Amino acid sequence: MNSEQKTERKFLRMTKSQRIQHVILFVSTTILILTGFMLQADNWLIEIFGDYGEIIFSIRSWLHRIAGVIVALVCVYHLLYVISTEEGKSWALDMLPRPKDAVDAYQNVLFMMGLRDEKPKLDRFMYMEKLEYWSVYFGMTIVIITGTMMWTEYLWPRFYLEVANVFHLGEAVLAALAIIVGHIFSVHYNPHVYPMNRTFIDGMISEEMMKEEHELWYEREIKNIDKPAAGTDSNEKT
Amino acid sequence: MCHKYPGLGRIDSNGSNNANKIKRVFYINNSIYEKTYHGSIRCKSCHTGVTKIPHNGIKKVDCATECHIIDPSSNKPFSHKKIVNDFNASVHGSEGSNTSSKEDLPVCKDCHSNKAYHADFDQQTAGMTSLKVCEECHKSGDFTKRFYEHISYRITKRRSSKEVVKLCSTCHADKELMDKHELDIVIGFSNTFHAKALFYGNTEVPNCLNCHAPYQLGFSPHRISSRKNSQSPTNPENKHLTCSQSGCHIDAEKSFASGGYVHPSPEKIKISKIIGSQEKTRFQNTVIGWIQMFYKVLITLVIGGLAFHRVLDFHATRREKNKGGHLK
Repeated sequence: MNSEQKTERKFLRMTKSQRIQHVILFVSTTILILTGFMLQADNWLIEIFGDYGEIIFSIRSWLHRIAGVIVALVCVYHLLYVISTEEGKSWALDMLPRPKDAVDAYQNVLFMMGLRDEKPKLDRFMYMEKLEYWSVYFGMTIVIITGTMMWTEYLWPRFYLEVANVFHLGEAVLAALAIIVGHIFSVHYNPHVYPMNRTFIDGMISEEMMKEEHELWYEREIKNIDKPAAGTDSNEKT
Repeated sequence: MCHKYPGLGRIDSNGSNNANKIKRVFYINNSIYEKTYHGSIRCKSCHTGVTKIPHNGIKKVDCATECHIIDPSSNKPFSHKKIVNDFNASVHGSEGSNTSSKEDLPVCKDCHSNKAYHADFDQQTAGMTSLKVCEECHKSGDFTKRFYEHISYRITKRRSSKEVVKLCSTCHADKELMDKHELDIVIGFSNTFHAKALFYGNTEVPNCLNCHAPYQLGFSPHRISSRKNSQSPTNPENKHLTCSQSGCHIDAEKSFASGGYVHPSPEKIKISKIIGSQEKTRFQNTVIGWIQMFYKVLITLVIGGLAFHRVLDFHATRREKNKGGHLK
């Protein structure tokens, strides 16, 4: 751990509302992925359920629809949250992609490969986090539209449903893999945070990690603490 | 007479090669035979012309033969003749099919195997006083048993959906056979939502027969017709009626069922140039193929990129840590 004795300061990274939105999103997405991929299993595997298959199928069907509705509601809520609340606005604003992200990505890859000595100073949200965040908009739009189409199947020509099905499945595979490779690995199997980054539970980020991974944001926050100003969404805790 | 002896059999030789020799068993276990659908019919009713040993020059069993059972509803000898005629006129039959290889067409026994009725008849009917009513006149329990089994077997579903799919697949999933007859293999069905639900055991989704021979719309498995036939339930003009049977997509309109095949063979879904004048089915399969390709490329790039970044990050963090940097 630390060689120097520092006061362990923590900063607020996720507000209560953001944490609740995240938990609902992650629980329902997990249910959606599991119950959805139950339809992709090979038939011999499905037959293992034997006499329980029928009830499992009907539970699966309802769980998928219920979780789908919840996810859609969270998405709508998040849009309203981003438009109408201060913390939401600040969140979305800081998430906006900027030219600096491309520079950061380039420099960080060089740094990680050992071709550059300094890690670029990253802001509140680094390029990967922005990519993940906006991918959710892209993915959710597709799965919600195509999912609703398949739920109201009798309204659509069969070919549209076929197209909806291919998009729904493609997006699901992409999202599931992205969550596993991109997200779970970064918040669990990252040497910085192993075994788990607790930010999604308590909302806090340690000063040390903030300095390491979001230096630009850290410097700005420190300035705010020194000269307290209105409109900041960060708290300080000692 | 002879067939009650378990050892009765013959080795048929097809050519001189030993590998082609087939052992055929001619033993009939009477106690099992009696429990089958045809258990009350005597051998010679179906195996006509058997008068001498060896049974040379006799005809194959013809299910249209009038048998020695008197149909109590008409007082005439019973026969499957109508079914056989219907079947012959269907797409599977010798007259209805326009294939040049008629020997490949299915025959009655490819689907019907003279299975045994309920082996657990006694347990099943224990305590059923209604059968006692029958036995007041029909003193022989056999009569009651056979009638009960005949009716109850038809009321309960005879084959499960899974069994239907497996039965049809014995031919329709055989690529070589389907290629020979210029038909699509139907393995595409197993990827559909209908198939998945069906294999879970859901009874609301259709099996092959619910769309290709819906009893509800007056069709029967013996009268399956080509989709090109204007009367066929799978004809593009009639498809929406098939889809909107009660219990299914009841609100479906014509556009719902429009377009290409419901379960195209996966090999037909491929990317190629999209040309406006293409046949509708081919156009649709091409569009699906392109979307699939789009996702394959997108997933490879995104996930590959994420994994690459993750591995680099992992090593960089370890490297900095070992350097004794300020990482924890």
